[in-house]
Amino acid sequence: MIGRGWKRAVTSDLRRHWRHFAAASVGIILGVAALTFFLALGLKVRELLLVQVFPSNYVEVVPRSADIDLFALRLDLGRDVLDAAVMADIESIEGVDAVFPKMRLMAPALASGGESLFGGGLQTEIVADGIDPQLVADVVGDAFREVDADRINTPCSTNEQCGEDAYCDGTRSFSGGFCQPYIPVLVSPYVVELYNGAFRRSYNLPKINPDSLMGLAFDMDFGASTFRPSTLPPIRERMRLAGVSDKAIPLGVTLPLGEVRRLNMAFGGPAAGDQYHSAVIEVLSKDSVPGVVDAIEAMGLEVRDRGARRAAFATAVIMVVLALVGGVLIAVAAAHIMHVFFLVVIVRRREIGLLRAVGARRGDIRILLVAEAAVIGMAAGLAGVAVAVAGGAAANAFAAGRVPDFPFKPESFFAFSPLLLASVLALAVVACVIGALPPAYRAASGDPSEALAGR
Amino acid sequence: MIRLDGIRKRYPGADIDILAGIDLTVDAHDFVSIVGRSGSGKTTLLNLIGGLDTDYDGSIEMGGSNLRSFEDAGLSDLRNRKVGHVFQAYHLLDHLTCSENVSVAALFARGEMRRDASWIRRRADEVLATVCLKGAGGRRPSTLSGGERQRVALARALFHQPEVLLCDEPTGNLDLETGREIVELLSHLHRRGEMTIIAATHDEKISTVGERTLRLRDGCFVNLDGGGE
Repeated sequence: MIGRGWKRAVTSDLRRHWRHFAAASVGIILGVAALTFFLALGLKVRELLLVQVFPSNYVEVVPRSADIDLFALRLDLGRDVLDAAVMADIESIEGVDAVFPKMRLMAPALASGGESLFGGGLQTEIVADGIDPQLVADVVGDAFREVDADRINTPCSTNEQCGEDAYCDGTRSFSGGFCQPYIPVLVSPYVVELYNGAFRRSYNLPKINPDSLMGLAFDMDFGASTFRPSTLPPIRERMRLAGVSDKAIPLGVTLPLGEVRRLNMAFGGPAAGDQYHSAVIEVLSKDSVPGVVDAIEAMGLEVRDRGARRAAFATAVIMVVLALVGGVLIAVAAAHIMHVFFLVVIVRRREIGLLRAVGARRGDIRILLVAEAAVIGMAAGLAGVAVAVAGGAAANAFAAGRVPDFPFKPESFFAFSPLLLASVLALAVVACVIGALPPAYRAASGDPSEALAGR
Repeated sequence: MIRLDGIRKRYPGADIDILAGIDLTVDAHDFVSIVGRSGSGKTTLLNLIGGLDTDYDGSIEMGGSNLRSFEDAGLSDLRNRKVGHVFQAYHLLDHLTCSENVSVAALFARGEMRRDASWIRRRADEVLATVCLKGAGGRRPSTLSGGERQRVALARALFHQPEVLLCDEPTGNLDLETGREIVELLSHLHRRGEMTIIAATHDEKISTVGERTLRLRDGCFVNLDGGGE
């Protein structure tokens, strides 16, 4: 076979019957466009859910609750804390790579500050927890670490005398100050999104860039509350934002574990230093998660489902349904392609007979027709992808201008990955080829004399 | 050499055989004319000899090979390499140029017959010159006269220098003068002695060119005076 000659034969045939083929391609274009559009949308939503809203690289274990509602009260009859022995048991489960205990701050706290950001001081009740800095080391690095035990030492009169990681605290002495370390804190991206998406509107505050928050310092009064007076004197510390991490408490601030332990022991006694409220478990691989979850539940503990699994499942179901809709469209289009090819084969009966008369094998005729179908599929697939991408751009533009901001609102609602585009193009080609196969076999059947006679 | 033994053919739904036991031997480089009325089976016979029709009883040998021994691929290759067909209705592809029509067999050439594009172009020009259509390679068949189209069809049949040229009513759609030109072309090809020519025709002129003229009647060959051969 001569490649160039075949190319010429295929393209000239397509040109001759372009009206038939263009009509047949409409279904493929619509099917591919719908499939690409919905799959790209589904993939992006799934990515948002699993990567940003419900990061699922880790499993969080909490004590199993056994709540009983009694009138207005809910009685918690289950275990409330995890101790070191439970942590050791969890660590011994097969598939567990590391266990990072989390400790909730057991004292009220007030946060105040933000003058540089908001133009005026804000004060709010705030909850906090503590995590092992190693858990977030790969994201925030060294900025989030345990504070040195030797805290109060150097006398000072200005912040500059204390270096980068400390400030001059003048509240603890009448004769000058002492250098105190900043306590690094983390916030969840959800906090930032909630602030930018909803909170700031209620209080007419500016929208903030998460990156600009790094290094923001504010004070926290541990043991202080606007709800009820504390029996112990509050402890004031200065915090400094070290990063944004999905491992941080969703609403509140997250401190290094040692700091929370110290504060809990200060307000709750020595026993409070060994009472963890949950543990984040890093599993060796995602495949190990089901086994680890089973083992944890067998220990009488619960895995906190933050919605990731349900969200992923729901997204997958929606994607499958939408993909089926696109798939059905493509299947119908393939049937249409078949119909058109049957017509074209009838029209070209004598021509096919002539090709057979000059030496075309049955397989050559089939290849010729299937190649034409593949070209149609590729062209229609590209057009469908273009329609989908254009539709996605239009939807993004509409969302940017008309849809109010909401937490985790992305710039684009679509993930047109190369793999997705290649897959739908391949599907379009395959659909057209499958549609063209029966007519191609019909065209190649019989003797050339029958075709030449138009029979 | 071509040899037909006891060839019988009946079309589906027909009451009688269109060919009723044909025996024929054609030596290499012979020119045989087959005459007969319309519907006498001339085209059917050429189709069988040329491997365009495989539904028959009897045996057909070409160059010592029984056509029944070929699968589709073998028969297709035979049509591509050894047999050239000229049809009464030309069967030119209007969307291709004359040169592309002439070289269409090259699309399906295999093995040593497979050539590059420049060879194919040269060969197409060569055979077009042979049929006195030099320079017409870029024209579309729709711009040609009937005689020119038949010459293009003849050039297409000659493209791979076939051993056997089968012409089915090559002058059937042409006026007398144009038909005479085609007859002269066939005569010229015969004189060159490069191929066996079998022509089914009504045209008495063609029958005068060949060594033998056979009359087909009621599915059998008869003597020109009307008796059996």
